[in-house]
Amino acid sequence: MSKDLSTWLDTLLNELQGIEVRRRSSRRIRVDVQPDALPALLELLRGRASYVHLSAISCVDWIDEGEFELVYHVWSYEIGSLVSAHTRIARDPGVYISVYDIYTPAAFFERDIHEMFGVFFEGSPDMSRFILTEWDGPPPMRKDFDSEAWVNAHFDFQDYQPDWLQEIEAKGGGVAVRPDEQRFSRRDLDAS
Amino acid sequence: MTEVTKTPAAGDALPVKTGKRTNPLANVFDELVRFAQSRSLFMLHYCTGCGAIELPPAMTSRFDMERLGIQPMVSPRQADILLVTGYVSVKTLKRVILTYEQMNSPKYVIGICSCTVNGGMYWQSYATAKKLNDYMPVDIYIAGCMPRPEAVIAGLRGLIEDIRRGTADTWKDYYRRYDHYLGNQQRLFGEDWQTPTDVIAEARHYGLFGPGTLGERTALLERHQKPLEALEMKLDIPELMARRSGLGSKGRTEVK
Ligand code: SF4
Repeated sequence: MSKDLSTWLDTLLNELQGIEVRRRSSRRIRVDVQPDALPALLELLRGRASYVHLSAISCVDWIDEGEFELVYHVWSYEIGSLVSAHTRIARDPGVYISVYDIYTPAAFFERDIHEMFGVFFEGSPDMSRFILTEWDGPPPMRKDFDSEAWVNAHFDFQDYQPDWLQEIEAKGGGVAVRPDEQRFSRRDLDAS
Repeated sequence: MTEVTKTPAAGDALPVKTGKRTNPLANVFDELVRFAQSRSLFMLHYCTGCGAIELPPAMTSRFDMERLGIQPMVSPRQADILLVTGYVSVKTLKRVILTYEQMNSPKYVIGICSCTVNGGMYWQSYATAKKLNDYMPVDIYIAGCMPRPEAVIAGLRGLIEDIRRGTADTWKDYYRRYDHYLGNQQRLFGEDWQTPTDVIAEARHYGLFGPGTLGERTALLERHQKPLEALEMKLDIPELMARRSGLGSKGRTEVK
């Protein structure tokens, strides 16, 4: 049965226009598809081909090409194989449609991608902040976000104290830092 | 109690309270109190990061920190030590500060792991705070990624020794220089950051009001401060409410 299904799926996918199918192994298929055809493909996979489990949606920022790549990983328990559907959308304005109506768990993945990459999914039930509830900077997983610059603008670092190391070695751990030693902070120095 | 008369500048030594009381009996009493304090510490371990993994062996029979009189405690109000174990994300930092402010004085903070010292291997990450002592005074850092239980015990012993000598008073720094700490907090959380604890009033209460307690950052706080309101309790579980209100009533009930 599952063998039949798998052959049937292969034949069908190869028949379809505008998509590129690469079978990577007996249990993995990679499909490249145009963004406007992706929902239909997922619908087909879920409805007829038993790929009922959306395990993740991942996002890759191809900044030089000006594109986001979205990868939908769907799993079939019956066939025992994973289909990864790759699609690329324009980085600007970075809007795509939600597949929440096909796979309910997509809501969480889409919310996460919206937070981390700033891709807006139309029709997703909730696009509010998810994990970074305190964050008001740009989406941090975008390639053009400079984490180090942000860190330098928002945090100070402790100064290197060579004698601490000796103290640690002598005592086996536990360094007492008195508040007068802690007082130094780069920002205070800059101000003065 | 030493009165602080000027804001300590960078590098200044803190006025250390050596003040032995003139009455020899009182001295003995003070020492006894300090000894008792150092030997009975309740510890709130705020397991923020991976360093927390080394705590179970430190707490349980192998290394057994209870022989030093240190016991885990579940609520901040009853705890003496706040143990921050590992990286503190910006989101967690808010909670750590809330927890810290709720603890009763004297209180001690221990930062375990390199991540609390300097960001550790997350030094470049936008999501974690780098230097714990920017946001609250830290008594002891235990460095290492992660520090072994021996190091944890050594650090705790160091703290115990400090308490017995009466030098573990960094918590006073939070009151004396609240403006500095608040400034660093505001830098991360925005100008309208506010906690339910009135630190300035507490500073007055403890007699720790210093020239660094108030400043431009506390002025900002005052400007944005909203009066605290009790949280609204709302239960909206239809089955539960139906059961509560007896068999006769049907339908949704909302309790405010
Ligand atoms: S110092 Fe190492 S063990 Fe500790 S929290 Fe950081 S990464 Fe984890």
